[in-house]
Amino acid sequence: MKHRQRIRTITLGAIGIALFLALWELIGIRGWAGLTWPPLSTVLAFLFDPSRRPLFLRAMTASFSMIAFGYAIGLVLGLAAAALGHLVPPLRPGLDRLASIIHAIPTIALAPLFIVLLSRELTGMAIAALGVFFVIYVSATSGLAASSAAHRDLFQVFGTSRLTQLRRLDMPAALPALVSGMKYAVPAAFIGAILGEWFGSSRGLGLLMVSAMQNFQIPLLWSAVLIASTASLLIFGLMSLAERLAYERYR
Amino acid sequence: MTKMLKTFVSRYWGVAGVLLFWQAWVTITGVNSIVVPHPIDVARDIVTEPGVYLSNGSQTLFLAALGLVLGMALGTLVAVLAWSSDILSGILTPLGLVFSSVPVVALIPIIARLFGYDVKTVLAIVVIISFFPAFVFTSAGLKTLPAGSDDLFRVFGASRWTRFVRLVLPSAVPNWMIAFRLAAPPAVLSAMVAEFLMGTSGLGYLFRSAASNFQTDRAFGTSVVATIISVICFGLALSAERAVLKRWT
Amino acid sequence: MSLVPAPVTAIHLDHISKSFTLDGGGTIAALGEVTLKIDKGEFVALLGPSGCGKSTILRLVAALEEPSTGAVTIEGRAPVELSRQHRLGVAFQDHALLPWLTIAQNVALPYQLAGKPVDKARVSALIALVGLAGFEAARPKQLSGGMRQRASIARALVLKPDVLLLDEPFGALDAVTRRQMNVELQRIWSEQRITTLLVTHAVDEALFLADRVVVMTGRPGKILKTVEVPFARPRHPDVTREPRFHELVDELTLALEPAGGHG
Ligand SMILES: Nc1ncnc2c1ncn2[C@@H]1O[C@H](COP(=O)(O)OP(=O)(O)OP(=O)(O)O)[C@@H](O)[C@H]1O
Ligand SMILES: [Mg+2]
Repeated sequence: MKHRQRIRTITLGAIGIALFLALWELIGIRGWAGLTWPPLSTVLAFLFDPSRRPLFLRAMTASFSMIAFGYAIGLVLGLAAAALGHLVPPLRPGLDRLASIIHAIPTIALAPLFIVLLSRELTGMAIAALGVFFVIYVSATSGLAASSAAHRDLFQVFGTSRLTQLRRLDMPAALPALVSGMKYAVPAAFIGAILGEWFGSSRGLGLLMVSAMQNFQIPLLWSAVLIASTASLLIFGLMSLAERLAYERYR
Repeated sequence: MTKMLKTFVSRYWGVAGVLLFWQAWVTITGVNSIVVPHPIDVARDIVTEPGVYLSNGSQTLFLAALGLVLGMALGTLVAVLAWSSDILSGILTPLGLVFSSVPVVALIPIIARLFGYDVKTVLAIVVIISFFPAFVFTSAGLKTLPAGSDDLFRVFGASRWTRFVRLVLPSAVPNWMIAFRLAAPPAVLSAMVAEFLMGTSGLGYLFRSAASNFQTDRAFGTSVVATIISVICFGLALSAERAVLKRWT
Repeated sequence: MSLVPAPVTAIHLDHISKSFTLDGGGTIAALGEVTLKIDKGEFVALLGPSGCGKSTILRLVAALEEPSTGAVTIEGRAPVELSRQHRLGVAFQDHALLPWLTIAQNVALPYQLAGKPVDKARVSALIALVGLAGFEAARPKQLSGGMRQRASIARALVLKPDVLLLDEPFGALDAVTRRQMNVELQRIWSEQRITTLLVTHAVDEALFLADRVVVMTGRPGKILKTVEVPFARPRHPDVTREPRFHELVDELTLALEPAGGHG
């Protein structure tokens, strides 16, 4: 019963994705959406043309390194802030406000600041770090609150120190929520890096997108977007697997 | 009085700290003041030329709000359609998941090219960006019914329609409000980014023209106005969410 | 020819069994062979250890589950027909109040589900009857567990059902309130003689309210013994002090013990 349900879900999902890709191809071939909608096959042929490999590789290296650094910085800052708020509760309200204001600011508004404070090239990394910071802070905070009151009382009765409690009770209990947060931080990191590159970076997938848009290089535009989306989707998928493991182990 | 001060410090020490850190960074690294304008200059530009900010700001706000409402409506509609049919739901749910795991903002250049450089395109972009959270969260909400309520409706012999109106739709309200709160900041952001990339009008355009004319005080002023608008929108969405959740759960 | 009309069977569980399929693929036998007839206007209480299948029996009568073998009928027809005609009243083990409705709206909900106009007077009378007057505008989360249970009993009664199914409706109440609610329930029942199936863990509650007490054992659920309750109606709370009452309490308590009451 359960097994058949699973097969059904997977089949329908595959049909959905296949329909989406087929529609993409069909709209492009028939030209229903005009010249700016190329068929999927054209985009793929363009993308895998060996002569363009260096171009894409260079852009990918630039963007992905910014994404990775931004993700790492955001992760560390988010974790540190959440742990700080957890260990020193009076600091919590201030951290919460800071996080939600950072989230509410349109990152584009911070771009000029980052451009002067850091550099054009590092702006994407900084915006990615901010996006990741928010998601990680929120998920880690709610995860740290997830250990049950009964368990906390138990540890209190045993006279456990706050740090030990963090290590033995709160952190394991927070892990599933944190891994979910790390998953949702992936698209946030990509968005941040691409946005940053739109503000005058001289490299990266974001630059490819903007210049292709302005110069009507339609297949190049779609290729760059496809690369970024596929990469984000893949990492998101891997994170989903990690998430499932975490939930099985710690819930 | 001291109590108010205490609450203020406890809530805003983080924000104040970041501002201080910023000031310290500028002082220590000695960044040229032509590159980073003084706060006074930025404020003066906003006060002396409020018209520029007001007209562009209200246009961006209008497009973001309208796009958000339309996108939420569309997302809810598709979620209800998917709810009504198992096959449709099986096909649409993974697509929704795929689109929420990719950087949708990266689609802006494509949409801009498809619809042409126009104000309407800005609106279309906000609608598309707001659509996905609305669809994903409403879909999940339509399926999380209060414990035991499904049995209750069956025992009392509720019709399919009654069940939908009185149980399924109300059950989705908390999730719908979460989607609304989550979609509000990206709506303002994507409107601005679209205006910035296409250079039509609005805050994004103001930002771009100021930057390319080296009017740094204007550029920073736009940042300030955009931040205020976005923070207010987020604050409103957040308090709406809290008010509804308080009544609803 | 007898002058007493022959009792009419209202609920008939005819050699039913029920097994569930678990996620892992295994099956669990919740009910073995159970046969039970409940007459029209009769009040039957189900007693038994946790997990012996009491709620499952209730869910079968409410048409929320299908028996694996055997058949459940109400007045000779499938239970689902009764619920389609809105003639069933149910209070579940967990209250199942809708969080976004007030108490008054929750109690009035069955009218809306049946597509009937709301009888406001009846709603407020029932709310008063279960001791919730003054809480009409409150929301479920603002009430205690016991108050929520009482609201769900009011909701079960609001349509004047022909069959009433109660699953541990007083489980979260203190002894005093429970006694009060028992008296009220008996009064309501005496007025309408609704066919009632009550699941409970409290032996004295079963004896005070029911015409017949059915004791079950678990894994798979079976009927162990049936006890006719001899006390005349209306029953005054003082019956619980009679020696006969205590004898029956002892007898049923013994039957409930793991050994199976062969002592
Ligand atoms: N939907 C289900 N899926 C699998 N097993 C179930 C399901 N419902 C009930 N069971 C199993 O059937 C058995 C009887 O359950 P039931 O809820 O009827 O017990 P109960 O007598 O009402 O117990 P309690 O007094 O604790 O409420 C239990 O072993 C339970 O695990
Ligand atoms: Mg039960």
